[in-house]
Amino acid sequence: MVEVTIDGQKIEVEKGTTALEAARSLGIEIPTLCYHEGLPPDGNCRLCQVEVTDARGRTNLVISCMYPIKGPVEIRTDTERVRDARAFVVKLLLARSPHSPVLQHLAEEYGVEPLDARFVPEDETDLCIRCGRCVRACATLGNNCIEFVWRGWEKEVNTPFKEPSNSCIGCGACAQVCPTGAIRVTEDETTRTIWDRTFDLVACERCGVRFATPEQLKVVSPEFKPVDGRVLCPRCRKLEEARAVASGLGAQEEN
Amino acid sequence: MRQIIEGYPKEPRYLLATLQDIQEHHKYLSVESMKMVAEYLGVPESRVFSVATFYKALSLVPQGKKVIKVCNGTACHLRGAPKLVEALEKELGIKNGETTEDGFFTIQTVNCVGACAMAPVVMVNDRVYGKVTISQIPEIIEEERKDAV
Repeated sequence: MVEVTIDGQKIEVEKGTTALEAARSLGIEIPTLCYHEGLPPDGNCRLCQVEVTDARGRTNLVISCMYPIKGPVEIRTDTERVRDARAFVVKLLLARSPHSPVLQHLAEEYGVEPLDARFVPEDETDLCIRCGRCVRACATLGNNCIEFVWRGWEKEVNTPFKEPSNSCIGCGACAQVCPTGAIRVTEDETTRTIWDRTFDLVACERCGVRFATPEQLKVVSPEFKPVDGRVLCPRCRKLEEARAVASGLGAQEEN
Repeated sequence: MRQIIEGYPKEPRYLLATLQDIQEHHKYLSVESMKMVAEYLGVPESRVFSVATFYKALSLVPQGKKVIKVCNGTACHLRGAPKLVEALEKELGIKNGETTEDGFFTIQTVNCVGACAMAPVVMVNDRVYGKVTISQIPEIIEEERKDAV
């Protein structure tokens, strides 16, 4: 265990805990875009910068989501230097996606002036900030169906060969984790469309809500294993499980 | 194609080497070839496509037998590289980045070939032409065409 100071508050953390995790455990808010608790950190959005002073008194800006605490350091999350660094990051991101509500909100918070109207194309609809959360989500939970393609200013996230991916299971994890809502999933009564591919939706055999694609159900994960031979949506599943537990307890009491 | 691919051990780390080999022999990477590579090496198709689109040395459209690279670095640019590109485009009847119908020539601009003293520089495959003038362009094309036939 290591004792660190974050914004004046002392906390003991396990060696290797990231500065971000430590700060959040104290309830200190650090803005993030590319970081997601369920995914490996990548540190590419640079928004979560904080100032760290080590035991020798050297102060540096670090990316808190990828800064493992190894010794007794002092972390400050809201100094002028930190705010300036974050404002700069927001400014650059905003230049890429000027119409993103998430970025506009951050710009307001960090006092970033809106881009000169001359530099904002009206038809600019790209909300993607190339943080790669979706790519990591698909690698972790899905089938590696999307990746960064091309490079430089042409870089984007896309499916292999820009065709609807055969291995995509339509789980929507990529859209779920997207911080700016750049990935479109549309659902109607019976189908779900994502990355130009349309999937059927399977109905829950208890409540009738259509909740998942057949491809998703095939990849057997605990959420989708049939209960008593019936395919249930997550909500009904929990209900059934709770009922089973409750009846089990009831039976014990009778004994 | 299969021969090239199966010349490598079935390990993901041979992805780039395989793609380079296919590029060299077929002058481009077809979707089918990328799918074959993905299956053989056990690499996701998305990864293969990502790598294939990342490197400039790999192309998704067929390249000519002779790839003409016009240097457009600072020195070459100042000494008239854009005019050379125009002259080449006129001579071959294609735009920068395109390939002639007979499959002989492709025009590309690159950012520096490291021979600034010879500016403006044009490279045709591995051959370097220095201090090129517009009037030399038809000659160069003629010579290279003979070589390609």
